[in-house]
Amino acid sequence: MFIKRFTAKAVPLTVVLTSAILISSASFARSNVYADFPITLKDYSGSATTSTSYKGQMARHALESSLKKLISKGDVSAMQSYYSGGSADRVIIAPATKGDFVIMQSTIGELSSKNLSGKTYKGLIPGWPGNMTGPEVVAFMFEKAADAEAGYDAAHAYDYTQLVSKFLMGAVMYNQAVDNYLDEKLEEDTKPNNKPYKDGAAYTGKEHVWDEAFGYFGAPSHTLTLSAQDVYNIAKQKDVTAADYNYDGKVDLYKEMAFGHAYYASSFDKGGKTTYLHDIVGAYMDGRDMLVEADANALSDSQRDQLKAYAKIIKTNWEKVIAEAVFKYAGETYEDMVKIEAILESNGDVAKAWRNYAKHWGELKGFALALQVGGKDMGAVSVRLNRLIGHSPLLLGNTQVTGVDSNGEYIQSNSESWGGYMAHMLKVQNLMVDEFAVVAKSHDQTAGLAELVKTLGGKSSAEND
Amino acid sequence: MTDFFANFLNPEKRLFVGYLISAAFIAVIWLRAVQKKPLTTIVSGFFNSKIWFSKSAIGDYKLMVLNQFFIKLLAPILLGQLALTLFIFENMHLLFSRPSESIPVWMVMIIFTTTLFVVDDFSRYLVHRLMHRVPILWRFHKAHHSATNLTPLTVLRTHPIEAVLFSFRALVVHSLCLGVCFFFFSGSVSLIEIFGASLFVVVFHALGSNLRHSHVSISYWNWLEKILVSPAQHQLHHSINSKHFDCNFGAILSIWDTIGGSCLTSNKDQQIEFGVKGQSEAAHNLKNLIVGS
Repeated sequence: MFIKRFTAKAVPLTVVLTSAILISSASFARSNVYADFPITLKDYSGSATTSTSYKGQMARHALESSLKKLISKGDVSAMQSYYSGGSADRVIIAPATKGDFVIMQSTIGELSSKNLSGKTYKGLIPGWPGNMTGPEVVAFMFEKAADAEAGYDAAHAYDYTQLVSKFLMGAVMYNQAVDNYLDEKLEEDTKPNNKPYKDGAAYTGKEHVWDEAFGYFGAPSHTLTLSAQDVYNIAKQKDVTAADYNYDGKVDLYKEMAFGHAYYASSFDKGGKTTYLHDIVGAYMDGRDMLVEADANALSDSQRDQLKAYAKIIKTNWEKVIAEAVFKYAGETYEDMVKIEAILESNGDVAKAWRNYAKHWGELKGFALALQVGGKDMGAVSVRLNRLIGHSPLLLGNTQVTGVDSNGEYIQSNSESWGGYMAHMLKVQNLMVDEFAVVAKSHDQTAGLAELVKTLGGKSSAEND
Repeated sequence: MTDFFANFLNPEKRLFVGYLISAAFIAVIWLRAVQKKPLTTIVSGFFNSKIWFSKSAIGDYKLMVLNQFFIKLLAPILLGQLALTLFIFENMHLLFSRPSESIPVWMVMIIFTTTLFVVDDFSRYLVHRLMHRVPILWRFHKAHHSATNLTPLTVLRTHPIEAVLFSFRALVVHSLCLGVCFFFFSGSVSLIEIFGASLFVVVFHALGSNLRHSHVSISYWNWLEKILVSPAQHQLHHSINSKHFDCNFGAILSIWDTIGGSCLTSNKDQQIEFGVKGQSEAAHNLKNLIVGS
């Protein structure tokens, strides 16, 4: 299918341009499209023509995107169906066709009849009240979203659309990729490269492990041919030309769409300070090229070390993407608080600003929870992050949700002052800088301060009077 | 040695060559026009080897060189500046509402530059006063006051411990001003600068700040000396006469002294002996400057 792009466009190309492509492509050591990797298994006798396969992961992205829309409708059974059901007929609510941005698939089954519940992080989620596991948090949020108005609980400033979406991106996609596929499944005895992933499969154990990890990131397979801005535009369904790599007039959710954290990576990278998207996809590509070269032989220790080195690049950069998102939304929450305070002081209507506050806080909380499900013991950083953000936004009257009672109702207690909670948001930003060395620093509330200190700050001087 | 020469090439420093030239120019005009001294006397006075090579001046040079090395050790203190500024900025949220509307950048520049100048000057007055009034601090500050000849280089006749205190003062004041102003004005905070130094610093130094450590006794009108410290007033501060003790602690503004009851205005024909009462010539030895005589 992907060769079609070249055959379809080859005719009008001039000889000069063709030569240029041939010359430049000859210098590529790295594949530039994560697709159509050859079948290396010698004993494979099926009909597949490629060993690349990660439709299940893209189905989960489509489920997460669709759930985001469903939460605002308040139908718990629909939410549960998309979260834990298995029907192939579930309609892909998002991304849906928008103008000339035509989506190829219309049901989940056209990708793969998967669910999200089976892959949700099962450990404790300390950043959410009630001592719940990952799936319990999701179920709890569904119930609360159904009781709220279009997924928005103004009294507690909870935006369940954002909370569920950002939490699932972490508890399913990020956790599965970095804590499972790019972790224990890279070990020697797990899914070896000299055997099929399962009987009759067209791919080896390690090939499929790597593909599944790639799928969870959510990047289009032709990311390396695109700019970060292109990928951002694809996720926003604004640029069908960038998305439709094989020129069939449709955007294939399996290979051509941008989802999840890949979208967030592109959003930070388009600012020009970071290269998370291409670093991550590049490492995926390098790892997959290496597996093709391994030619279905068991990986040597040095090959596995190399694969783990690529995995480390992916994990480190992915974690930074989430930390950048935490940084960004702490900044936006802070900005909302400045606006709300000003509106309150002038006795204005705070409803719209409050809605934004809940939205941005929901994203902040969702990403903060996601950051903690990567299988890494974050120790004191995790404690600090959860304490700074708390279990809810600061509410009017300086209270915060501090727990959940036996009936599942939120418990509120006195908390910080308004300014004190704003300072917490600044500390969250500082924490992301100190612990994760974020660079894009979107909505940086102390931007320029370090430079000011450097240029205007105190200087040692022995001048005396 | 680069740092040593930077004292003379950096417009933020009082010994910047431009300020020395402007001070000399102002001194010539004052001595010629007001004190009616012959030009030859003025010029020979400038190059008087009895002053420049006096034991007192040589003591200045020794401490000056020593401090160049010592100051290097203080660099880690300044690394705490950003942390302190952030701390102040964060804690401002507990006291005030963050303004949501911005004011013009030019206005922010004026406010910030003025605030920094006033707070910085007040803190210099306060620390200077403490250096005189607190016995243990006076032990260090005495090194500066033991100068019996004043030259512009006496500005660097500073005990190393005092240099540490000055660095802390600068750290606190700059962090405070930056943290507070950043809270109210965000990213538009900046300093009105000339040649990379604050407007007020440049004006103060260009108007002859170096003459306070000299034998050129320029005085202002009485009313002005209650607002700005004249060279003659600072020379009174260095006087050995007990009548002049603990006066004129101010650096640029004398309003702090006026408020604090320590402002002493100068007399046109004042004759002042500099130094610390009862000190011997040995006070200018480096050992005695450091550990006391």
